[in-house]
Amino acid sequence: MTILCVRFQLPPKYEAALPGLLGLLEDFTPVVQALPPDGALADLRGAERYFGRGAEELARLIRVRALALYGIDCVIGAGPGPLLARMALGQAEPGEPCAVPEDLVVDFLAERPVAALPGVGTATARTLCEYGLDTLGRVAAAPLSALQRLVGARTGRELHEKANGVDRGRVVPNAVARSLAAEHPFPHDELNPDRHRRALLLDAEELGSRLRALDKVCRTLTLTVRYADRSSTTRTRTLPEPTAHSPELARAAYGMYGALGLQRARVRAIALRAEGLTPAEEASHQLAFDPTDDKLRRIEEVADRARAKFGPRAILPGTLAA
Amino acid sequence: MPGFTHLHTASGFSLRYGASHPERLAERAAERGMDALALTDRDTLAGAVRFAKACAAEGVRPLFGAELAVGAPEPSARQARRRAPVRGGAFVDESTPRVTFLAREGAKGWAELCRIVSAAHGGSDEDGGRGTGGGAAGGRGATGVRGAAAGRGEGPPLLPWTECVGDGLTVLLGPASDVGRALAAGRPDRAAKLLGPWRERFGDALRLETMWHGRQGTGPGSLRLAARTVGFAAEQRIRPVLSNAVRYADPGMGPVADVLDAARRLVPVDPRGELDSGEAWLKDAGAMLAAAERIVEAAGYRRDTAYRLLEQTRATAAECLVDPEDDLGLGTVHFPEPHLVGAGRRTAQRVLASRAAAGMLRLGYDTRRDYWERVHQELDVIAHHGFASYFLTVAQVVDDVRRMGIRVAARGSGAGSLVNHLLGIAHADPVEHGLLMERFLSKRRVVLPDIDIDVESARRLEVYRAIIGRFGAERVATVAMPETYRVRHAVRDVGAALSMDPADIDRIAKSFPHIRARDARAALEELPELRELAGEKEKYGRLWELVESLDALPRGVAMHPCGVLLSDSSLLARTPVMPTSGEGFPMSQFDKDDVEDLGLLKLDVLGVRMQSAMAHAVAEVERATGERVDLDALDFERGEGDPATYRLIRSTETLGCFQIESPGQRDLVGRLQPSTFHDLVVDISLFRPGPVAADMVRPFIAARHGRAPVRYPHPDLEAPLRETYGVVVFHEQVIDIVHLMTGCGRDEADRVRRGLSDPESQGRIRVWFAQHAAAKGYDAETIARTWEIVEAFGSYGFCKAHAVAFAVPTYQSAWLKTHHPAAFYAGLLTHDPGMYPKRLLLADARRRGVPILPVDVNRSAAAHRIELVSESRGSEGPSPEGPSTKIWGLRLALSDVHGISEAEAARIADGQPYASLLDFWERARPSRPLAQRLAQVGALDAFGANRRDLQLHLTELHRGARGMGGGGGQLPLSGGRGTAPAGLPDLSSAERLSAELGVLSMDVSRNLMDDHRVFLDELGVVSARRLREARHGETVLVAGAKAATQTPPIRSGKRVVFTTLDDGTGLVDLAFFDDSHEACAHTVFHSWLLLVRGVVQRRGPRSLSVVGSAAWNLAELVELRREGGLDAVAPRLAEPVPTSGGDPTHGRRIQLPTGYEMHPWADLRPAGEEPSKVRKLWHQSPGSAG
Repeated sequence: MTILCVRFQLPPKYEAALPGLLGLLEDFTPVVQALPPDGALADLRGAERYFGRGAEELARLIRVRALALYGIDCVIGAGPGPLLARMALGQAEPGEPCAVPEDLVVDFLAERPVAALPGVGTATARTLCEYGLDTLGRVAAAPLSALQRLVGARTGRELHEKANGVDRGRVVPNAVARSLAAEHPFPHDELNPDRHRRALLLDAEELGSRLRALDKVCRTLTLTVRYADRSSTTRTRTLPEPTAHSPELARAAYGMYGALGLQRARVRAIALRAEGLTPAEEASHQLAFDPTDDKLRRIEEVADRARAKFGPRAILPGTLAA
Repeated sequence: MPGFTHLHTASGFSLRYGASHPERLAERAAERGMDALALTDRDTLAGAVRFAKACAAEGVRPLFGAELAVGAPEPSARQARRRAPVRGGAFVDESTPRVTFLAREGAKGWAELCRIVSAAHGGSDEDGGRGTGGGAAGGRGATGVRGAAAGRGEGPPLLPWTECVGDGLTVLLGPASDVGRALAAGRPDRAAKLLGPWRERFGDALRLETMWHGRQGTGPGSLRLAARTVGFAAEQRIRPVLSNAVRYADPGMGPVADVLDAARRLVPVDPRGELDSGEAWLKDAGAMLAAAERIVEAAGYRRDTAYRLLEQTRATAAECLVDPEDDLGLGTVHFPEPHLVGAGRRTAQRVLASRAAAGMLRLGYDTRRDYWERVHQELDVIAHHGFASYFLTVAQVVDDVRRMGIRVAARGSGAGSLVNHLLGIAHADPVEHGLLMERFLSKRRVVLPDIDIDVESARRLEVYRAIIGRFGAERVATVAMPETYRVRHAVRDVGAALSMDPADIDRIAKSFPHIRARDARAALEELPELRELAGEKEKYGRLWELVESLDALPRGVAMHPCGVLLSDSSLLARTPVMPTSGEGFPMSQFDKDDVEDLGLLKLDVLGVRMQSAMAHAVAEVERATGERVDLDALDFERGEGDPATYRLIRSTETLGCFQIESPGQRDLVGRLQPSTFHDLVVDISLFRPGPVAADMVRPFIAARHGRAPVRYPHPDLEAPLRETYGVVVFHEQVIDIVHLMTGCGRDEADRVRRGLSDPESQGRIRVWFAQHAAAKGYDAETIARTWEIVEAFGSYGFCKAHAVAFAVPTYQSAWLKTHHPAAFYAGLLTHDPGMYPKRLLLADARRRGVPILPVDVNRSAAAHRIELVSESRGSEGPSPEGPSTKIWGLRLALSDVHGISEAEAARIADGQPYASLLDFWERARPSRPLAQRLAQVGALDAFGANRRDLQLHLTELHRGARGMGGGGGQLPLSGGRGTAPAGLPDLSSAERLSAELGVLSMDVSRNLMDDHRVFLDELGVVSARRLREARHGETVLVAGAKAATQTPPIRSGKRVVFTTLDDGTGLVDLAFFDDSHEACAHTVFHSWLLLVRGVVQRRGPRSLSVVGSAAWNLAELVELRREGGLDAVAPRLAEPVPTSGGDPTHGRRIQLPTGYEMHPWADLRPAGEEPSKVRKLWHQSPGSAG
């Protein structure tokens, strides 16, 4: 059993191309799982025998096809399980797929730093490193009880298994794009709250129109503010109802921004990410007696059509046009 | 047309507000035909003295004032609190109205001005209603706002309304005042209401200030507000005055003001926001007339009304008369009242005379006629100047300090006075050492004499408190020290204002040596280590220009490290005082030069770390052995002293010894081979910029070792010159020579000596000298030869009194190092006096056979201690310790653990001993990070062998304490004391070393270079120990950790980089001459571990250095070796070495007043980080914490 992990080198804000690329993978195997925004897992099960080629050769084939069809390069890792495929991806380069054979799994893992393991975040990695468990080899050698005392019972057990090469993951076919992001950088340190809100509005508008273009609604919204010293603040808010309506998104974004209470922070960029995407037809919408909301949504629909025809800047909120 | 007087002018002393120095303002005022100029700095009078002096020089009448934030008469309701920002901190609040005060009626006005400025700084607690202040959270802001927000650390200075009174003050209500703001808001009714309280308080002294900066709208600087103000003034019958709210001297300095605003508010310059108008310069009378005309016309008056506005301004200026000499007290002296220094009924002079006589008896000089004569002479001189209370004051302070059990010693020329010796101020006997009173004080010397006293640095603040307690807070104040912009801070502030990347700012700032800001671009052109940065110079646009324009502007105020003002009870009427930020001592806003001009008595109380270190060493010896060591009772000033101590000094292993530990001094000591106290005095005097520059060292060494004959210009001069083999070293000798040759008296001779440093007066002195010497019957040749010597060495010898005062602790520290090494190192490490990082002292201790004992929570105290390691009944001859040989080890202190607080250290030490980890956790209550660090460095090894397991147990204990479940109270214990193993990998040897460096900044278990020994042997590196056998001229490779880097001024006028490497077997002193700078400078300044190729230089049996020709970053090479083997190292070594393209300074040299040349970039603290701050190993292993 060989799993491929593919990461397409998509230009930013180009998630819309992912479904097509997934289709390309589905030419090889039906078991393809999207890893938005730009990756996918593919289970090659019978493909190897069907095509009569090894995993590495198939990987090269996929790259060539993606380049030929879409002009998009990709990086590919291969391994006996999804976890190992992902880890292999970390070692791969364009045109140089990295495959981990089943019998070398433990050796491959032993040298990797703990942070490379999917599911180990910065906090866990820091804890492990503090105790000298900086490589997966050392994690594997540590007693399970010690690991569980360090990071908790469940995480400890999973960590122990993963570090020993036990990969219980499966490739689960599903649909694309679970999130979309929009980011607005500033040319210099920006402190002015008006310009911050302007950037938020731009981001919300952009996210809204991209969501509507994909016929999706989002459940949660994440605000990321990046500062001059390369640090950032992140806030997430779940929307009252899933939506793709730009004013709703903007309102939620303003709320999160206001709660930060920024004054002297040197803001370099403001990014919004729409998460928990679901098809628009599945979303519920609370009707109101106030006709304004309804009108706004109808205007938005018209504006979207105008934008489709005359370009994204054809119709803008008044504050952004100034 | 008569000149205009600017009544509202801020200089650079308005921190991060004014962009010009007071001197520049005075100069421009004179150029632009003004007769008078006011200086009204924000919240400070610190610039007043310089301003007064500059004005006197330029022929401009100075007016004094200050611009203060004033609290509202009735406190308004507290504003709604803004949400606390999650990042970046709150805005600096500048919303308080500001009002300008001018001193009017001479001394009274000045006293009132001082009072309200002090009140603004001190009275900040009363007023509560002041939003979120400058306490900027996060970022580098918190440290940046110091000076501006020093008012007891909470918010900027604010004058409470209750204190806002003053008879001798004129008040200008400008656009920034509450009245002006109401007018700007279009609310003349409210302005009228707000004006009421002001009118009540100040009546006729109230003025409305109008100004126009060509701005739009109705805000400050707009024409509409200016016109409204004039109209309002007419309506309210208050006299208007015209000002220009000056912030800088010349047009075109608007961008500098923007940067200063940004630095003050801690925000970047917003190019789309409101920038400085560029109009706030010191405009001449014509421009101000034009402004006045625009304003009155806009207010609806005829154009010639402008003259009335100007006339009002002139009349206001004419009222503000404060004379710098009479009213500020320039040039008069104020001593504490005699009754405070023990002279109640008798005069101070009588008391001094009787105390001196008592001292004669006490010290046993009463039978010696020469001593009596000298005392009477000195007392005459003191009486002549009326300085008796000064001597009594200093004696009082010294007595108080001594009574507190603090080590104290006098330094400076004061040590030359026998009276000082008799009063117990100075330790050394001046008659014995041939020190002259005339060098200190004579009838012909008019400046205030200064006596400096050294105390233990750790207890300096205690001494300050004692002085304040003795004389009262109204007579004592510490002295301010303005921190001015130099290149690094300027780069940081301008970079932040220009929104540059913080990482870039940091890199640029750190690549500069500590030079003046104005030299930034010249340094980029000329310094080889900045070559890389110069390449990307264009990228940063206006940065360099703005950096240079901030040059030397004050950016904060700190307490001067040693000056204490002592005066009579009128002190607070003569100087504005603010509390220091940390301790809340009263601090005068004037700096040490101002204070001297103001005739305030300044006593320098220096905190000397070596005194603290020695006190600690002595206390340790007594604690551990019961033996009392009295350093002051060591008899070494006369006679031979202790041979073992001199043996140590001659061996040049003088690391940690006062004054003789620097590389240059070790070299000099090696060549000079001192064997008596006098040799030490000479050694210290020779190692000064002057004597080094004048090349006194070589002839002295040659004569001392008999390689050159001792010559005197005339047999008469043998007496003063014999002690230094005919070489003039001391000021005292020059005084004696001049006195002997001309018979002018020593006091006159001292005046002549001072004149020698000035080339103009030198010519006059020469003629005078020749005449008088000829009159005394010396022949022309003798005169010419003597003059040559006097001229060459006269102005930069060293004051022998200083040197004697220095040599005492030098000998004492060397004695301690010889006889109580462990205690000596314990003292050094506790009080860290030296120029070297602590790890180097530790390496030195290891080399000298002092066992190093690691930190242990059961044995370590807060300070470094000594501990008996082994004791044996020695039969191998006598040892200084007694019949049995005891080996004392050095137990490292808890206080060196990174991030430990004093309270935590004390708690741990108090709770000893601990039976188990749980016991330690419960009773010592260390914070979690601290406990982890203690575990990492092995301080908890007693409770379990595996340090990582200990860390895990600690984490769980911590979790349990926070009630988050986990193990609860169940600590897995095995056998009571120890802790059950958890199976984690223990720290490897390299990780332990890394943890020691990270936590203690010291490599405790072994020298960090030991790990590279194999690689260094592969390269064929010569160790420091083997280097001693190397031949002169041999090419060698040396390696080590950098200890200290300097670029001192040297005789040849070239820039030489001196650095010291430590490789575990000893020290290697390196010198890089300017032909190698192109290749090495950057590496040497910016790397910590170095590999250097160089040529061995020998100048004496003990003098050895290596002249470097190529340098590599050893850490990088080690990394290459580890990853790619020797083959990876080879290409790095093979990289071509850039060669120098001649002197980039094109022969530019700084001409010293002594006639010698100095390289423009010598004598600077070099680029890069201090080695003592390095806490990291060559590489950060992923397994190490932090």
